Order: sequence, then C-alpha cells, then structure tokens
Amino acid sequence: KIRSFLSFQKGIRFSWNVWPSSRIEATRMVVPVGAIYTPLKKRDDLPPITYEPLRCTRQQCHAILNPLCQVDFRSKLWVCCFCYQRNQFPPNYSSINEQNQPAELFPNYSTIEYTVMRKQNMPPIFLFVVDTCIDEDELGSLKESITMSLSLMPPNSLIGLITFGRHVQVHVLASEGMRKQFVFPGQKDQTAKSVQEFLGVGSKAAQSQMPGAPAQPGMAVPNQPQLSNRFLQPVQSCEMALTDILADLRRDPWQVSTGKRSLRATGAALSIAIGLLEACYPNTGARILTFLGGACSHGPGMVVDDDLKNPIRSHHDIEKDNAKYMKKAVKFYEGLGKRVSDNGHVVDLYACALDQVGLHEMKYLPNNTGGNMVLGDAFNSSLFKQTFQRVFTQDDKGNLEMAFNATMEVKTSRELKIAGALGPCISANVKSPLVSEMEIGMGGTTTWKFCGINPTSTVTVFFEVTNQQGGDIPQSGRGCVQWADPQTGLLHITAGFDQEASAVLMARMAVHRAETDQDGTDVLRWIDRMLIRLCQKFGEYTPNDPNSYQFHSNFTLYPQFMFHLRRSQFIQVFNNSPDETSFYRCILNRESTTECLTMIQPVLYSYSFEGCEPVMLDTSSIQPDRILLLDTFFLVLIFLGETMAAWKKEGYHEKEEYANFKSLLEAPVEDAQDLLCNRFPIPRYVQAEQGGSQARFLLSKVNPSMTHNNTLYGGDGGAPVLTDDVSMQVFMEHLKKLAVTSNA
Amino acid sequence: SVTKDGWNKGWGTATCDLLQQKCVVPPHGVEPLSPVLAQEYLPNCSPDLFRCTLTKIPETQSVLQKSRMPFGILIHPFKDLEHLAVVSCNTIVRCRSCRTYINPFVVFKGDRRWECNLCFRVNEIPDEFLFDPLSRTYGDPSRRPEVREATIEFIAPQEYMLRPPQPAAYVYVLDVSRQAVETGYLKIVCETLLAYLDKIPGDRRTLIGFITYSATIQFYLMGEGLKNVQLIEVGEINDMFVPSPEDLLVNLDESRSLVEDLLDSLPETHANTVHTQTALGAALTAAYKLISPIGGRITVMSVTLPTLGPGALKPREDPNQRSAKDISHLGPATDFYKKFALDCSGQQIAVDLFTLNSQYIDLATLSGMSKFSGGCIYHFPGFHSERNSPSVLPFRSCFIRYLTRKIGFEAVMRIRATRGLAITNFHGNFFVRSTDLLSLPNVNPDSGFGMQVNLEEPLHNIRQACFQAALLYTSRERRIRVHTLCLPVTPNIHEVLNGGDQQAIVGLLAKMAVDKCLSAQMSDAREALVNACCDALSAYKASLSSYSGLPAPPTLQMMPLYILGLLKSVALRHGLSTKLDDRVFAMCELKSLPLCHLIQTIYPDLYPIHNLSEKGAINIEDMVVPQPGRLHLSAEYIDRNGAYLLDAGCVIYVYIRGGISPQWVNDVIGVPSFAAIPQPLYEESLPFVDNATSELARNFVVYLQKNKPFPVPVQIIREDNPSRVLFINYLVDDRSEGARSYVEFLQFVKSQVK
Ligand SMILES: [Zn+2]
Ligand SMILES: [Zn+2]
Repeated sequence: KIRSFLSFQKGIRFSWNVWPSSRIEATRMVVPVGAIYTPLKKRDDLPPITYEPLRCTRQQCHAILNPLCQVDFRSKLWVCCFCYQRNQFPPNYSSINEQNQPAELFPNYSTIEYTVMRKQNMPPIFLFVVDTCIDEDELGSLKESITMSLSLMPPNSLIGLITFGRHVQVHVLASEGMRKQFVFPGQKDQTAKSVQEFLGVGSKAAQSQMPGAPAQPGMAVPNQPQLSNRFLQPVQSCEMALTDILADLRRDPWQVSTGKRSLRATGAALSIAIGLLEACYPNTGARILTFLGGACSHGPGMVVDDDLKNPIRSHHDIEKDNAKYMKKAVKFYEGLGKRVSDNGHVVDLYACALDQVGLHEMKYLPNNTGGNMVLGDAFNSSLFKQTFQRVFTQDDKGNLEMAFNATMEVKTSRELKIAGALGPCISANVKSPLVSEMEIGMGGTTTWKFCGINPTSTVTVFFEVTNQQGGDIPQSGRGCVQWADPQTGLLHITAGFDQEASAVLMARMAVHRAETDQDGTDVLRWIDRMLIRLCQKFGEYTPNDPNSYQFHSNFTLYPQFMFHLRRSQFIQVFNNSPDETSFYRCILNRESTTECLTMIQPVLYSYSFEGCEPVMLDTSSIQPDRILLLDTFFLVLIFLGETMAAWKKEGYHEKEEYANFKSLLEAPVEDAQDLLCNRFPIPRYVQAEQGGSQARFLLSKVNPSMTHNNTLYGGDGGAPVLTDDVSMQVFMEHLKKLAVTSNA
Repeated sequence: SVTKDGWNKGWGTATCDLLQQKCVVPPHGVEPLSPVLAQEYLPNCSPDLFRCTLTKIPETQSVLQKSRMPFGILIHPFKDLEHLAVVSCNTIVRCRSCRTYINPFVVFKGDRRWECNLCFRVNEIPDEFLFDPLSRTYGDPSRRPEVREATIEFIAPQEYMLRPPQPAAYVYVLDVSRQAVETGYLKIVCETLLAYLDKIPGDRRTLIGFITYSATIQFYLMGEGLKNVQLIEVGEINDMFVPSPEDLLVNLDESRSLVEDLLDSLPETHANTVHTQTALGAALTAAYKLISPIGGRITVMSVTLPTLGPGALKPREDPNQRSAKDISHLGPATDFYKKFALDCSGQQIAVDLFTLNSQYIDLATLSGMSKFSGGCIYHFPGFHSERNSPSVLPFRSCFIRYLTRKIGFEAVMRIRATRGLAITNFHGNFFVRSTDLLSLPNVNPDSGFGMQVNLEEPLHNIRQACFQAALLYTSRERRIRVHTLCLPVTPNIHEVLNGGDQQAIVGLLAKMAVDKCLSAQMSDAREALVNACCDALSAYKASLSSYSGLPAPPTLQMMPLYILGLLKSVALRHGLSTKLDDRVFAMCELKSLPLCHLIQTIYPDLYPIHNLSEKGAINIEDMVVPQPGRLHLSAEYIDRNGAYLLDAGCVIYVYIRGGISPQWVNDVIGVPSFAAIPQPLYEESLPFVDNATSELARNFVVYLQKNKPFPVPVQIIREDNPSRVLFINYLVDDRSEGARSYVEFLQFVKSQVK
C-alpha cells in the first residue's frame, strides 16, 4: 500500500506551518522545520482506489499525481508539482475532463491510499521466541496468552516456535510423525549460514517456494517433506501440534544452584530466530515475538552473569563505565537489529520480570524494526495479557492492524531538503539531491523502511530550508509540505508555530541526543539553551527587564512542556533503570503528538461534587475533597484526596443515601478504563490515596509549587511535595531572566 | 620298552611321532587338561573358566626357559554357570597380608588359623567362619562353601562399595545415515529391543536412553509425564553437548510406554533421511555426557565410516593389499576412540560396538572405543535385511543374546598369584588400572581374557602354585566372584613339557600374535607363531633320550595343527584377499573370545553327518544326540557320497556332496534329490522333516547351538554351488593359496626342530 499525503489533513503536524523564505532566517527559528507524521492513521474518508498510482515520468522524480499538479484536460497533460515535468496521461485516463476527474485530483484527497494488487501477499509470519527460565505459573500464563493469540491470527498465518533457556530449541511444527525440535547450544552465536545449514533451510529454497507450495521437482529425495518451512507452518494446520508442544513445554530443566541466575541464552535464541526467517522468508511480513522473563546471562548478548551477587547494570554503572557486559551486548544486538531490519522482519520484546531484562541493550531490535516493546511485571498480569491481545487487534474488515515492510519516501520541492527522521524505522539509504547535508536523526536518505508499522506508528521527519533570500517560492507538494502562501515576515512565521508538535519534536531530538551521546547533563543544557533562544527570538520584551517578557499566544505552553520534559523520565534517568528508560524512550519515539504530549506533560483531571475538570499538574491540585485521575500515558492513576479516601474507608459508597458518592467514585474509574483500552502498551493502572505509598506516582509528576522548602504556614490546602526540584514558577522566572539578558 | 610304553600311555605321556601319526584330532574332541594335584579330593577351578598353559608349573626360571613354552593363564570369569555357590556374610575372610580370598587350597593350622596359599601368611579365622550354614552348627571351617568350591560368589558387604550399586543404565547410539537406514538394521534393532524389553537385565531402577546420529545428533525426550516422545536434533557436532539435563536417560519402568513408542516409530522417523555422512564421535561424546554421572553401557551401531566432527576418519584401505604379506593400517588412525574409551572407563562406562558395514569402516580405529572400555565388538559385514537376507538371522540372534545376557556393571578384576609368579601382560578388552587390576566397566559372560605370567622367584619348597581371580561387579547388588586355580609345581622339565595345555598355549599365542601384528608386522607375528611351535617341540625333543621323526607329547600333538589353523585364520592369513575390517575383527576375536570358542574358530570341528546313528549317542534333556567323530579339516576325509557339518563357532556349514544318497537328502533336507536342494539355504537348525534321521541330525545341530552364546546360522551348501569356497577355505589341513598343507607344515617344523 502506498500513501501520499499533504498537509491540512489529520495525521500530520508540523513544527512550523509557515516557513521563512531564506535559509538564514530558518536557522534562527531554533526549532527545526519538521513533520510528525502517522502514515497509517485510520481514515474512513479515503476513497477505495485499486489501480496503480500515476507517477511523474522524470527519472529522478517519480512523484505521484496529486491535487497540486496542474492538469490540462484538453491536451491530457499534467505538470509535476515537484519537477515541472509535463506528463501525458496514459490511455486509461482518456475520459477525464473537468467534470470527470480521478479521485487523486480531488483537493480533499491530498492523502490518498492506493491498494495495489500487483504482488500476491504472503500470509504474515509469527515466530514466537519464548524464555523458559520462568516460574511454572508464569510459563503457564504465557502459554495461555500464546495459545489465545493463535485464534486471533488469520488462519493462513505461518507460525513458528523457538524456546530457550540454557540452550535454544527450534520446534518443528510440520507434522512428521515424531515431534521434533532442533537444539542449538546457548553459549554460541550462530551465523546465518550455520542456522541455515543445520536447520536445512536456505534462501534459495525459500525464494522459489511459497509456503504450502508443492516441493520442487528434482529435489534430491522425492517425497521429502519440504524442509524450508517445517518450522513455520500455517496456523490452521499446526495449531494442534503447537498446542501440544506448549502443553508439554516446561520450565528450562537445567538446575539453578542457589545464588545463581538461570542461564538464559536470549541472544542466541534471537540470533537463531532472525537467521531462520532470513533464510526462509527474507523481505516478507514476519514478526518475531520475544517473551523475556529475565536478562540474558549466557552466550552472545549476555548482559549479566549468572552470579546473583552481581546485580544488573544501573544508570550509575553505565555512567561510571562499570557495566561489564554492556558494550559487547550492545554491539551484538545492534548487529542483530541491522540484520533483522535488512531482512524486513519485526522483533517484539515482551519483557515481564521484576528485575531488568536488558532492554537497554536489546532496544535496537524493536526500535529498528517497529517492533513492540512491552515492559511488565509478570506474564500473568492483566497488563501483559491485555497488551498482548491488543497486538492482534483487527480492523472492521477483520484484517490485523499491523502492516509489514513499509517504505516511506519523502519528496520535497527544491526549496526544502530532507535532514532526517526519527521513529520506529531505519534508513533505506536512498541518496538523492533532496537529501540535506544537515543531519537530524537518521539522515542521508529520502526513504525509510518500517519493517512493522501500525495505525499509530508515528515518525518525525526533519527538513532544512534551503531557498535563497528573494528566490522564487514555488508551490511545493507531495511528500510533506504544502505552504499555500509562504511568508517572510516574522509575525507570520510566529503564527505558524505549533507548540505541541514542536515540543514533541524537540523531545524526540533530545532523547535521540541522549541515546547517541549517552550524556544526560549535556542534553539538559541543550534543552535549556534551545528554550532560551526560542524565547529570545519569539518573545516580546525589553532587554534586561524580566518583568517585561511576554510570550506570543501560541508559545505560552511551550516552556511548560519543556519544564516537564526536563523533569521527565526521558531525561532524568536516574530514578529509573536503564531498561525502563529504554522503554519510555522507545514509546516516545513512535507515538502521535497527542500521546507524546501526555508522556511529556501528564494530564490531570479532578473529580468532585462540583463536576469533572482538567486541572493543573500542580501540587495545588491535590485537595482533600477531590479525586484525581492522572494519565502519564504509561500509568493511569486514580488518587483519592484525604476526605474522599476517608469516606471510602467508612464505606459510604455502599450506602444507598450516598449514591452520589458512589457515582463520584466510579466516574474516574470508568474514564480510566477508556484510557486503558485505547493504549498500547496498556498503561499501568494504580489506585492511590492521599498518604498512601502509591501516591508517589502522582507526587513525582506534579509541579512542586509547594515543597517543604516553600510551603507557607497556613497555606490554602494543597499537598507539599518532598522534592528539591524547582517549581515551574521558579523555572519560568529564571527563564524570563535569561531570555532578556542572555546573549546565547 | 613295552613296559615303559604301556606305563607312559597309562599316564598319558606317550610320545608320538607327528610325521607318523596321521590323525591327531581326537574324534570326541580335546579333553581339557586338568592339573593333577597331590590331594586329588580338592576341588579345582573348572578348565572351562580358568586354564593355565602349563598344568605343571616349573619350579625355576631355568626349567621354564628350557621348556620353551609360553606361560600364561586364560580366564573366562563371568561364564554362565549352572551351579554357583553364593555366600552372603558379614565378613569375607581374606588374607590380611595379600588380600587373597580364602579358598580350598589354604592350609588350616589348628582350629583357629589358616595359612594363605599365595603369600603364606598365617591368618586368624573369624568366629563367623566356623558356622556351617548347611548344618547350622559351629565347628569345622572346612565345611564352609568358601573352602569347598574353587569358584564362589560373595554378596559384598557395605565396605566393598564406594557408592551404592549403580542401576543398570543403557544408552543406544544408532547410526541413522541414509546407508544405515537402507540396510534395514534399525527396524531389526527396534523390533528386537521392543520384544526383549522385559528381559534386559536390571531392576526397577533401570535406565535407558537413545541417541541417533548422522550428520547431526538426535536425542529423544521420553520423560515420565510427557505425552509423546520428542526428538531433539543437535547440529553442533564439534562442540557436543547434552540438550536437556533430564528425560533423555529415563527410567524404563516409568517411561515404558514412551520407550515402546519410540522403538515403534524410530525406523519411520528416519526413513527419509538425506544425510550420508555421520558424526559418530559427536554422538559418542553425547552418549558419554548422558551416562557418565551413573556409568553403564553404551551400545553403538555403526554402518558408515564416520567422516564428520571429532574422530572423523578417512578410508585407508587399499583393496590391492588385502592379501599382502604385511598389512598396513591395522592400528588406529586417531587416538580419539581410545581416549574416549579411557574416559568412559573412568566413569564406569563400557562401549560395545556393532558394525554392519558394507564399505570400509575402519574397525582398526573404531574398535578402540570397546577395547579399552571393557566393551565388546560385533561385526556383521554386508548386512542388509533385504539384499542379504541371510545376514539378518545372525545379527538378530546375536543382538538378542547381547540384550538378555547377564551384565556386571562397574566391575574390576584382580588376578593374584602365588608369591614368585607375576602377571606381565593382559589380553582382552579392558583398561589396566594397576599392575594386577583390570578395570571392566561392564563384564559379560561371553568375554575371555588372557594373561602372560612370569616366574620372578623360584618356587622352592612350594608344592602347589595358585592363581586367584576376583571379579567385583554390580548386578543389582555388589558381588564378588572368585576363581582359584591350583597347579602342582615341578622341578622336572619333562613333566612340564608333558603338562602343556595345547589349547591354552595356542589361545595365548594367538593373543600374543595379534599384539605382534600391531607392534611389528604381520609376518613377524606369523614367524613368531611358527617359532613357538618349533620351540616347544625342540624342547620336548631335547628332553627325550632317543627319538625319531617329529616327536611330541600327546598333550601337544595338535599344536602344529592349531598353529597352522592360526596362520590360515582370517586374522593372520596372507595370500587370500581379506578385507581389512574383517581381518581386524578376527584379531579382536582372538583377543577376547573365551578359549573354547577361540579354538573352534582356529580349527573348526568337522563331522560327517550322512551316517548319524544312535550308537554312542548321548542323552541330553530327553534328546538323543548322536556323536559323530570329528575329522581332520581335509578334503581327504570328504567322501563324495557324504554330507558334512563344519562348526566354525560363528557359523555352521552343512556341505553336501553330489553323491549323497537321495534317501538322506529326502530324510534330512526334505527334498527329493541333491539337485532339488535350494541354494542358498540358511536355517537356524536343519529343516524339520518327520523321520528318525532328520531328528538325529536336528538334535545334533541343536546340541551344537546350545554350546554357543547364541544360535548361529546353519548354511547348507551344495557341492556345486559357488559358495562352497566358504567351506573349502576352512580345510586347514590342505594346501591353499600360498599356504602349506599340514604335512608340508610338519616337514617344515621338523626341519626347524633341532
Ligand atoms: Zn516530477
Ligand atoms: Zn596372603
């Protein structure tokens, strides 16, 4: 499926909706021109088009016909809006005229979807990679989830099963009489070649054979069951076999002595899974679903050794360069991530453990491939079960809401160049004159590859404005931007600022910097510097007079976002494990603008007898007679104020005369359910009350307007927060002061 | 003088001139020579179990040297016995000094002390020993079974155990390469195992596991509670590991149905294999890892030369050299299999090897896995269940015997001898752990051993010398089987020469010859054999005051014939094209067969069977068994109207000549005429025809089969069939390709005897 799009449509937001006419101006805008784009955003308004898109005939262009192209109906010509090539309509367009235009010329359909029937679609492939070094009851729950998922797949989906503990087992799902599994030693990394040779699978065999097709004539032994897919079988034919295998599947049988960790060959298992798909079905839609109950402690990719005396690395260890296995593991998983994304396959990591499992090292796999990263406590938690079920969500046509092997090609008119992208994708390394020399995120290409993509996958694309001062500004079109009336004046540009999109864009850039530089404090300074420069550029103030500072109306929220971003788990990593940090950053990098904003600045709602309203994410919002609903995207928390909690404890809600209290209690719970059922992964759901231990989740997020440092005697309620963080008020004052004085 | 001759004959010491005496083969076989002790009432160890090459021990080294006879003992320590005294007691009475077990040849000194017959230390008799278990009274220690039986078994008390007795543990390592599966052997193995699962020695603790191998190694999960057998395939042959810590070696009782399922489905599972190469070394390593915590038995079935992974081999045989004087590649190509065997031995594991190859498999190298681990080797060249259907029967019966015969685990055997005698060399399959201690991870009833003995100190003032073999083994419980052999000592060279046990001598010489083939050349070994024969006869001649021709004592009169048989045997022959593997296997047999079977392979028994009668027949279990006299192995004795049975130990041939009476053919074979006898014809016995002649013949075959570990095939060969060469090759007495006839050999020996 190919989608093209234009602005003014849902699914895309720009940091700047107006851009300056000169390169020099552009560099002063601080926040780069960028688009946050959700390519597969669900759209019900799109016409069903089943023919091939019409492309510009110029060799280097190949842009697709769109509403911005000039059409000469009489001579049946269209002019490419990118390269001005005049293209003749093909014969099948001969009947077009002003009254009879094809859908792709309708201005409403600046985003359009072509369903191309050219290639027969392979059924999707799901390869389960299951950690068996987990408790029996955990394994039991996991088996249930896997079994359940079989019923959610299209019946012709191919499935495979790899289990691992000390060693790695590749299970034969084809029915061959005796049940079989192939075992690889866990301590050894397998090359693609050795996996292929040993499993008797090969890319030659796979290319010429679609699964289910009869074996090639002239093979060495006639009647030999086709080997290339004995490990990957249609779910409809192997469901029984798989269910049987799962039923017999037990905890990794190797004994673990006291004081030791299980030997867990996660790295080898993944390498083999990737090698298997690489050999059998390269560049087809395949998903490796990895279930992790602990950290890799054996063989390639180990992140911790098996001695419980040695805890798994923390951010402090990483900072002090004291993480013994990290670099080697990172190198290993980075290599795997490269391989698997080259093959066009997706790797999901479902981690359910009380300790870390090594997501920090393994993140390259889901990040490169658009795979899911899920972090939970247990496979028998509803968080995992529901999240996993949601992987197989179907649309109203009964198709899985997952797509494979997408490529996103961005075209710009000459005035813009493409600087890079950030998101759950990798560069497809397509060089073009459109590629900017400036690189933001993954640059050097006009095209990116999404091994896996779903309706919420969101990518950020960065541009460089390259048009010269006074140059002719033509219309530009497909691929990213349509600026109907480019302006040069600062005021117009200011008006074009999308502070929400910009906050998300900057957050992603900051996280990318943090991930690549590994230096948190530097990132913090970068965020501050950028904020101050933006405020200097776009505020109104009298130099050196902080009190004179005034924000433009569409800039007012931006500093707040930055304030919360600075305090967020994305930047302040030390309260989290490296795994958690990787998880949070992974999600930030792929969600839509709205969801990302929630992550950056959580949303707080208040429920009281006066009604329900959003309130400031501020300590002052914590009141005895309120119920709060906090949504941080990752966590949904219901917080009972002191009085509310006391009433509940007294059991008032069970009494008929206090039915209104009962409904008050229920209202946020219902709203929370709405939030829970629309998210992926399912947020952690916490119920807390004033003074309870769970309250810390709320207190760590609210603006510490009242802390033990500044609480006034006899203050007007509110709950002081124990923190040394500066409050937003202090932050803003400081910011204004710097903005009016600094020369940065 | 007539008197002296009569006297000598009476004592069995009459000299005969071999050149004059045409027939030396006693019609009713060679009676094993029993040592003659002064106290004739003393029970000595049966010659079936324990023999010495000299039934009279020379008193001094110089007498021994003058006799020019090989000095050694041959033992068949775990032979199936019909009667065996078993003693269970708190304390096993042993010499405090040399640890000899009390035996019939000790001397009691009064009521409370006994003198050790090996080191002569005087020991106390414990009270318990004075108790007579039969009469349940205390008193005379001489009534104890320990001093009334030269072969006895003790149930070992706690102190004899380093660990609790191990359970029986069996791992089968089966070749499933394409060639292997095609021979159909796997089906036979599985069917046989399935049929005999109940008869495998063991108890409720018995463990069993299976590993199959081709280019990869396959394991089978059969853990209790699993619904199905699961195959685990491992391709990492260079760094072998066991893929699961449990469920691979399983309790036979608990996993019985899964084991049966496996045996049912195993041939089908590998029916479509495409692998033509095998990684036997990796499979062995895997088996070792699987069973080493317990010890036990690894049974290897191999059809193809292993060419992958550790222990990979290359074809070494040059078919043009099969009949050469000197044979190369009789030794191992790599020490992998020996090292492996030593590792196994250290963990109380024996490795038994079955080769069923059609192509060269390098038994010279592979046999190392069994030789040094106390295992055994079986060779079924050309096995194919369809294309070579006669090969099925011997393999199956051998395998049945193998599965069901008793087995002793974690065994050691120690040989003690009277002070002055020292064991110098051991022959057989084992590892020598210390000077007199053989490590035998498994001991089986079909293996024999030989030891060379040296006279280190003169045996002055000692009337009798003794050898005692003590075999400690586990079979459910820890047991010790003790054999004590007592031999008179003599200073008289003539007595020594007259007391030579020709079968034992040849048995020992055969083993020494095999060693010589490996340490030097085959021609050296052959020369040494001829020399040994000449030496003994020279020494005898020298001991006579007057002589003519080629004199030999009656106890050695078959020695030249046996030596000739050895020279013409598959192991040592030249001039006749012999596959290297077959030759090596024959050598292995010379080293490990018990003496009675060994002699039969060297000089098979030939009987005329066209005129069997009840005259002189013996009665065994209500069966009239005729006793036709044995014949020399010469065409001279093969009448053109006759039918002959040749029992070569591992095979029986019935050779029928053209002139045979149709009546006999009708009676015995059940067809109207010689020409109607189908060829080839293989049976486990003779065809059943309802008449007296047939019954006699059948009874005779049954009788012969009974004396073997397992029934061997009976091949009926018509004189006009090309396969008659199989029979003809056994006619040792006759001149054959490049080899002397018996008469020529005697002439040669005479020329060498000074
Ligand atoms: Zn164009
Ligand atoms: Zn003693």
